[in-house]
Amino acid sequence: MKERHIKHLYWRAGFGVDINEFKKIKKFPKSKILKNLFRSSKNSVDIDIDLSEFSSFKNKTPRQLRKELGESVYRKLRQKSQGKVRDLSYAWIDKLTFSDELLREKMTLFWANVFVCRDNQIFHIQQFNNTLRRNALGDFRTFVKEIAREPSMSKYLNNNQNRKKSPNENFARELMELFTLGVGHYTEQDIKESARAFTGWSFKIDGTFFLRKKLHDYGEKTFFGKKGNFDGDDIIDIILEQRQCAKFICTKIYKYFINPDINEKYLEEITNVFYRNYDIRNLMYYIFRSDWFYNDENIGVKIKSPIELLTGIRKVVPVTFNRKRQLSYLQRMMGQVLLYPENVSGWKGGKSWIDSNTLMFRLKLASLILNDAVINLEEKGAFEDSFEAYYKRTKKNNKFIKTTKNWDLFNAKYERISSKELMDFLLITNLDEDTEELLDGLEVKSNRNFCIQLMSVPEYQLC
Amino acid sequence: MMKRREFLQKSSLASSLFFVPSFIKAFENLPHNISGFKKLVVIQLSGGNDGLNTIVPYTNDIYYKNRPGISISKNNVIKITDELGFHKELAPLKNLYDKGYLSIINNVGYPNPNRSHFRSSDIWYTASKSSEFLNTGWLGRYIEKYGKIPHSGIEIDDSLSLIMKGHNMNGIATRNPRVLFANTQTPYFKKVLNYQSDEHLSEHNLGYLYKTMIEAKSSSKYIYETSKTYKSTFEYPNNPFGKQLKTTAEFINSRIDTKVYYVSMGGFDTHANQSIRQNRLLKTYSNSIEVFVNDLIENDTFKDTLILTFSEFGRRVKQNAAGGTDHGAANNVFIIGENLKKKGFYNLAPDLLHLDNNGDLIYTVDFREIYATILENWLQVNDASVLSNSFNKLDFI
Repeated sequence: MKERHIKHLYWRAGFGVDINEFKKIKKFPKSKILKNLFRSSKNSVDIDIDLSEFSSFKNKTPRQLRKELGESVYRKLRQKSQGKVRDLSYAWIDKLTFSDELLREKMTLFWANVFVCRDNQIFHIQQFNNTLRRNALGDFRTFVKEIAREPSMSKYLNNNQNRKKSPNENFARELMELFTLGVGHYTEQDIKESARAFTGWSFKIDGTFFLRKKLHDYGEKTFFGKKGNFDGDDIIDIILEQRQCAKFICTKIYKYFINPDINEKYLEEITNVFYRNYDIRNLMYYIFRSDWFYNDENIGVKIKSPIELLTGIRKVVPVTFNRKRQLSYLQRMMGQVLLYPENVSGWKGGKSWIDSNTLMFRLKLASLILNDAVINLEEKGAFEDSFEAYYKRTKKNNKFIKTTKNWDLFNAKYERISSKELMDFLLITNLDEDTEELLDGLEVKSNRNFCIQLMSVPEYQLC
Repeated sequence: MMKRREFLQKSSLASSLFFVPSFIKAFENLPHNISGFKKLVVIQLSGGNDGLNTIVPYTNDIYYKNRPGISISKNNVIKITDELGFHKELAPLKNLYDKGYLSIINNVGYPNPNRSHFRSSDIWYTASKSSEFLNTGWLGRYIEKYGKIPHSGIEIDDSLSLIMKGHNMNGIATRNPRVLFANTQTPYFKKVLNYQSDEHLSEHNLGYLYKTMIEAKSSSKYIYETSKTYKSTFEYPNNPFGKQLKTTAEFINSRIDTKVYYVSMGGFDTHANQSIRQNRLLKTYSNSIEVFVNDLIENDTFKDTLILTFSEFGRRVKQNAAGGTDHGAANNVFIIGENLKKKGFYNLAPDLLHLDNNGDLIYTVDFREIYATILENWLQVNDASVLSNSFNKLDFI
């Protein structure tokens, strides 16, 4: 494989290639490189943050806890547990950076923006996140069925209020509109009928699935022209029979992993592959093995999401955040806060990440976290904030992002390579000619400084 | 032809002016005193203002029955009609009302109301249906289509909300033009841009980034340099919302060529101990608005400025156990301007007898009708080109 193609593969399957990894694999044939990539993502390692102080939440109902602890103690404890969702998001961001399961983590990030969900019950949302991770390279059919059983999803799309006597259609609608088929590929009647099939789908306090039989509608339903006493699993099976489902998912895969502009011919090709058995691993393998994946028009044309941008920097220079809260700040200023999607349709991605304000911030990100640059912009207050809290952040003016940088590790890996090689590691896109001239003309004093400079040019925003 | 950069290298006159790409210079040199163009200021009372305790149905028994702990007593209401009056902290707003500068539209909402702050705000921002997810805001689409440059829309904040985002062109956010400008003066940003010519910018993503960067630099420079020519001498209430409106007035009165502004005031999510909190909020809002209007009048810009105040939803008619109110649906909207067609109350008071299944007010005016009216009658553009559908027009302007 050409070196540029290996780098392209790793930008898309991960967040850029590690130089040591690159040295190891660069002489390998493509098949061996892919084998290596997929083998390292074979395992799925759950995120498991310390929640021991809330263990009673897993086996006692809120009512029991209120009685045992008293209203105010219970409220405080619950509030504290909700704050742990932020810790989970930090743990996730660290996992993206430090995990060896590159492809699996990249795919988890991708699926989190397909099966969009939000929940402040920390046990449930951690479980949901791990379900994404475990299924990220698995069987799509199993994946959808597991997602439909997740407590967080059940609550987020009101399926826990879906009862035989008064069906709630929200989950059924979004299942088809946003998770599997796309708008226009089903009828209102299909929604009504399928909602009935998911009635009574509920969960126990410990987060396991549970069918409330009295609330479930066992009657006959007509769905996509078929008649039967369908339950939710049957509905999912029928949805997957539609080729549109494979195409819908492949379109998202294409835009995320291949190119924001779709080539219909290749989309058809991968749709056929996926439709055969809905095997996600197989689909990704097929894509990365294809010659056309490495066509010039696919390389360096994707605008990184804020999380991809941040993770890419940290992969090169290991950075830890001394004040975890500042990780929230960075995400908010760039418009993507993990575990806090704005709505069920997820982040649109691409150009929508970019406006004058976010771009200025993104171009400054490397200086902020690697070079102690100062920033004087404030994040927005929250809807739920009091007037004082909404604006309280405006008091301090200049702030530092307090980080610990492992420059030793960077130096060990990158200090001895030429500045041209470093540039090729960090910038995959074809350089703007003026910027190229600018970079060529810079006097490189150290790769450490040059690294920050490279991460500050617009080209670094792309992968 | 000599390349521009070579020319610069050879020229001893390499002032910063030469580094500005030609298509940007074009709008920097526009005459700035295009007085007379219409400006719109959109204010969101963020969190969901309790409209029923703002414009109070003080002769309605149902109102008092549902809110034994938090209703506004008759003697704390500034009575206007037989049915409705202002919360006492809205005395400054009442002054505007007396001058004929205020129109109040009751029962504004949309079908199938959503009670999530995020979702309902998005619906108001994007002017979408309740069941539809759009990725651009109505002001953003206006900016893209009719403003053509980012600073034709300014949000008084440090990051940009969906309401200001278009497809390929967005508004710009700033609380402080000096800070915004400084952020385009960081070493790399400057260096890259100073080297940049626009000749080969492509339509693809990289070209889009450079274009956005150039526009950001240009707009922030323009905003900074133009707005500093006017410093307001009015004394605004000393709080962050007052500061936001003061900044807005300085933009408008410096004759900056911005057409739409967006300001969000926080704190209205009053689930608990509502009375004391809402009193303060309404006081802050109305005091600041009054100074703002006076500042504009003094500078002869009020006649060209329309102020729209909305909340993502109103609150439930029945109070909750914590002395507050929960998320509701339809709500009132304020329109402030000099030449209103319909002054005072635009329509009937809320119907407290017929509520929806959640016990919330049912809308009678779709918020998109207000947008459509403003777009067509005030900003004088085709409303359907921004809202993608045509809506019934109201006659408040």
